[in-house]
Amino acid sequence: MLGYTLRRMASAIPTIFIIVTLTFFAIRIAPGGPFDLERPLDPLILANLQRAYNLDAPLWQQYLIYLGNLVQGDLGPSFTRRDFSVNDLFAQGLPVSILLGSLALLAAAIMGTFLGAVAALRQNSWLDNAIVAIATLGITTPNFVIAPLLSLLFGVVLGILPAGGWSDSNPAYWILPIVTLALPQVAVIARLVRGATVEALRANHVRTARAYGLPGRVVVGVHALRAAMLPTVSYLGPTAAALLTGSVVVETIFGLPGIGRYFVQGALGRDYTLVMGTVVVIAVFVVLFNLLVDLAYAWLDPRVRYD
Amino acid sequence: MTDATTNAAPSRSLWQDAWRRLRANRAAVTSLIVLIVLGLAGIFGPMISPHPYGQIYQQYVRVPPSLEAYPRAEEIEPAIESLIRRARVEAVGAEVEGQTATVAVRSDQPIDTRITRYFERSDQFTNPQLELADDGMTGTLTVTVDRNYFLLGTDNLGRDMLSRILIGVRISLAIGLLASAMALVLGVAYGAISGYLGGRVDNVMMRIVDILYSLPFIFFVILLLVFFGRSLFIIFIAIGATEWLDMARIVRGQTLSLKRREFVQAAEAMGATRSGILRRHIIPNALGPVIVFVTLLVPKAILAESLLSFLGLGVQDPMTSLGLLISEGAQNMRGAPWLLFGPAATLTVILFALNFLGDGLRDSLDPKER
Amino acid sequence: MTETILSVRDLRVTFETPDGPVSAVRGVNLDLKSGETLAIVGESGSGKSQTTMAMMGLLAANGRADGSVTYRGREILNIGERALNGIRGKKITMIFQEPMTSLDPLYRIGRQLAEPLRYHAGLSARAARPRILELLRLVGIPDPERRINSYPHELSGGQRQRVMIAMALANDPDILIADEPTTALDVTIQAQILELLADLQKRLGMAIVFITHDLGIVRRFADHVAVMRYGEVVEDGAAEALFAAPKHPYTQMLLDAEPEGRKEPPAEDAPALLTGDDVRVTFHLGGGLLAKPTPLHAVKGISVSLHEGQTIGVVGESGSGKSTLGRALLRLTESTGRVAWLGKELPEGIDAMRPYRRELQLVFQDPFGSLSPRMTVGQIITEGLLIHEPTLSRKDRARRADEALAEVGLDPSMRNRYPHEFSGGQRQRIAIARTMILRPRVIVLDEPTSALDRSVQKQIVTLLRDLQAKHSLSYVFISHDLSVVRALSDHIIVMKAGEIVEQGPTDAVFDAPRQDYTRALMAAALSTTRFRTAS
Repeated sequence: MLGYTLRRMASAIPTIFIIVTLTFFAIRIAPGGPFDLERPLDPLILANLQRAYNLDAPLWQQYLIYLGNLVQGDLGPSFTRRDFSVNDLFAQGLPVSILLGSLALLAAAIMGTFLGAVAALRQNSWLDNAIVAIATLGITTPNFVIAPLLSLLFGVVLGILPAGGWSDSNPAYWILPIVTLALPQVAVIARLVRGATVEALRANHVRTARAYGLPGRVVVGVHALRAAMLPTVSYLGPTAAALLTGSVVVETIFGLPGIGRYFVQGALGRDYTLVMGTVVVIAVFVVLFNLLVDLAYAWLDPRVRYD
Repeated sequence: MTDATTNAAPSRSLWQDAWRRLRANRAAVTSLIVLIVLGLAGIFGPMISPHPYGQIYQQYVRVPPSLEAYPRAEEIEPAIESLIRRARVEAVGAEVEGQTATVAVRSDQPIDTRITRYFERSDQFTNPQLELADDGMTGTLTVTVDRNYFLLGTDNLGRDMLSRILIGVRISLAIGLLASAMALVLGVAYGAISGYLGGRVDNVMMRIVDILYSLPFIFFVILLLVFFGRSLFIIFIAIGATEWLDMARIVRGQTLSLKRREFVQAAEAMGATRSGILRRHIIPNALGPVIVFVTLLVPKAILAESLLSFLGLGVQDPMTSLGLLISEGAQNMRGAPWLLFGPAATLTVILFALNFLGDGLRDSLDPKER
Repeated sequence: MTETILSVRDLRVTFETPDGPVSAVRGVNLDLKSGETLAIVGESGSGKSQTTMAMMGLLAANGRADGSVTYRGREILNIGERALNGIRGKKITMIFQEPMTSLDPLYRIGRQLAEPLRYHAGLSARAARPRILELLRLVGIPDPERRINSYPHELSGGQRQRVMIAMALANDPDILIADEPTTALDVTIQAQILELLADLQKRLGMAIVFITHDLGIVRRFADHVAVMRYGEVVEDGAAEALFAAPKHPYTQMLLDAEPEGRKEPPAEDAPALLTGDDVRVTFHLGGGLLAKPTPLHAVKGISVSLHEGQTIGVVGESGSGKSTLGRALLRLTESTGRVAWLGKELPEGIDAMRPYRRELQLVFQDPFGSLSPRMTVGQIITEGLLIHEPTLSRKDRARRADEALAEVGLDPSMRNRYPHEFSGGQRQRIAIARTMILRPRVIVLDEPTSALDRSVQKQIVTLLRDLQAKHSLSYVFISHDLSVVRALSDHIIVMKAGEIVEQGPTDAVFDAPRQDYTRALMAAALSTTRFRTAS
């Protein structure tokens, strides 16, 4: 298993490399630059700035320099937040995003699995229909609708939670962002689990378990639900990567200091290093969670072998 | 299981069967009707609406939704009086009768007939007529009260929300459909070729899809926007160009599994050409899942457009879309929550209906799936 | 001495479907005495499986059972899961048709075998282990200490069915219900499983309810037989009496359904049409960017020569390479060696082969999969005309379609219907019409009757023989079903692991098989001796 893990990590390096290369050249050949302000800079200052950031070197040289720094874990200085390096920005923002994302993921996995399993076990009852309808609503309502509504309801009308803002120490500030992040995932997971459980309950081996007079909790818990977890586990990988790297919408609406905003801000302001840094972080998360999913999958399903 | 008994029934193709099952699905039929109504409203609503979506009513900034016409009865006289004051004449008495208001005016100096312009410029009155007495110091001003309905209120600039939501529906549906159509064409062509040719070609083509997949969507859109400038066309191209990846994967999977089906092998054994097999066997049989996926693609595209507009990357004022309206609503929700509720509810209804329709189609095209 | 332990009275099973209620079982009465074997025989859709599913409380969610089922005087129908769980798995156990999927793929077989012991006998996992090993030994699983830790996918189909039987025997049941336990298995494995069941019954003395469509098995196995059709028992009685003098016409028809008669041999001087010389087919399995694919030699150097009007029967178990051989002879899969048509080597490549395809045709096993579900029957059978006679007018194509349908015994007015509206036998006729419309000279028939009920099989065999006589067709008939092969073939090739182990004229091979493998195949398929020596 250790060998498998290492092999998988090694095979991810070319993918990350291609993504980094593509992004690097795409953003560089895009018109505009980081110092195109509304009022043009003095040409001398501009030249100095460009030299300071190596922007005067040929593109391929800049690319090699960037790769060299990247290998050492240095994401470079930010172009638009000139007092910070990209590493600093992530050191501040990433913990916030990871905290909110992982709590949201946990909540979504638990709630979604529970609701989905309940719906499947009571298939075609009013409860099932209600869960499916609510889940559809949850999937279709965009988070930029949910977030302001939640903020309005709990923050302004009821006044029981902060309508926005951030505090490292006061979990009251975390609740609305987590709920916003988790709700659509609860809905997706509930539907996935429901579908998979319905299918699993019809499987021949579940029929065997029932034919052998095993108690209902064993039939469902041991034989149906484990099989039903498999598609959910596959779904959780990319979802976890997305949740843990922050959401631009949620961070904007609630005013959170996560890293989700950096991407849009960086791309719009041509903050080359910030954009690249975000892409690298996201790619690493995606690779990491896909690996975790495959390991979990192999652990859950003995038919999958490490090869 | 299908025994000889079925032969008495009238012949039905799988499509007819699917249509029959879909009609029996109440949620899907309701969704379809809702979508048709919304679609028609998006197409014709802005044409028949009394308020152009860009028209600004300065007197009616952020008025709440109401079934009553503006100006309200009790507001008419104060409004006339204030305009008369600005015209620097004196009102002797005002009478409001139905749509017409009659004001007797007098002044110490001869009255300038141009004072009617104050009324012409106002959103509340039209057609001012000034009849002056011979001395030019007194006269009668008749104006028509311009009654305006703002069923869903107005926004920060005094624009009718209903008209804006209708145009937003039009833009959102149009982008959703166009982007999905683009994703459909690209995805079906790419996926079918990749799946049918198989082998090394398939490997390479799918690896490309994988790499594009791991590039974040917003990054791609921003790039396109800065390269080609911001326009509706680029927005739909950008969304279509990201959504086709899923379509390509689905079509490829379908093609791969169909290729192994015995009826395709039978056609091969009969000497059918590649294009004949694609045309007669693979495409008709892959169509079901593709249709289902398109109904799920449209809401995704609408959502993507809304997200872009919400982030300020999409449609630009005065043109609008549901996402932009929601974004504006979210900024004003404390003082004027109707700015958020209207577009949010509309978008949710559209997405909800599309999803239910997609589920219904999936169940009716492939009843085993459920 | 032999008391009735299970009795079924007026059992009815109804399924609610979107098209209205469907009754699958309509008032069935059955009695099972202790220690006897009751066979429930019927073709697909006869309700034989649903009868036992209802007894065991295993109906699908939309199914409803009415009537009465009593086990030792106690009502067990519709008594609720909890009450039923005191009996099923303990007193009444069941094995299923699908050994591949009946065990949970996610757990080791030891754990699954322990479950009935844990919940019925109250044994702990540790305490159950010796009993599990004993059971595995009993059902003939080699090396049980190691196998107890296997996952189901690590076992073959026959072994999985043995594990299922071990599970069924765990609590010394009174009754074992076996629902087509051997249908999904190769014939030689089938014979072993049946022998095992017979042997276990003799040793342990439980009663067996044996559900099958195969009268050959029943004759060798059952004490008592109930024949079902359309949800009703049309005839039941002691096995010997029933076989000796069937009363109901349906039973007689089933007994007659064994394909019979022999094919007229082809003329002595019939020319050789299709010849294969040292044909080899190798598949490359797996392999990715770096991994090297493993070669699988599916056909290892086979030579055949098919003469006009001749039928070569190719028999063998699954994986023996018989289908691959058929496809290689039609150039539908890459092969080495020489394949020649009228003495001229056949070209490779789709376009080069196209002119030959019209005379070299193929019929598949699965009549459900081989017809495109989105095309009408008319479109399906005229597709070949579009390719090989593109100048034909629409009207002429329709006329040819009518002729072809009439030739295979279908009503030409069915031309505008879709495949899903037809039964399996009708679909296979459509598939045959599709090939006949091109007036071919050679047809490779790849298990064309295996997915069909016995009575339908017989009709298809007759149809194929008639068509052959009328058009002097040549067949390569691929099948694992020896009785069908015997009724159709002049020459037999017995294949095993990609090689010919025996070949010769049909009667010679059947009357005096020289190889053990051939003898095993024959014994499994055609023997009428009973499994049980004592009763």
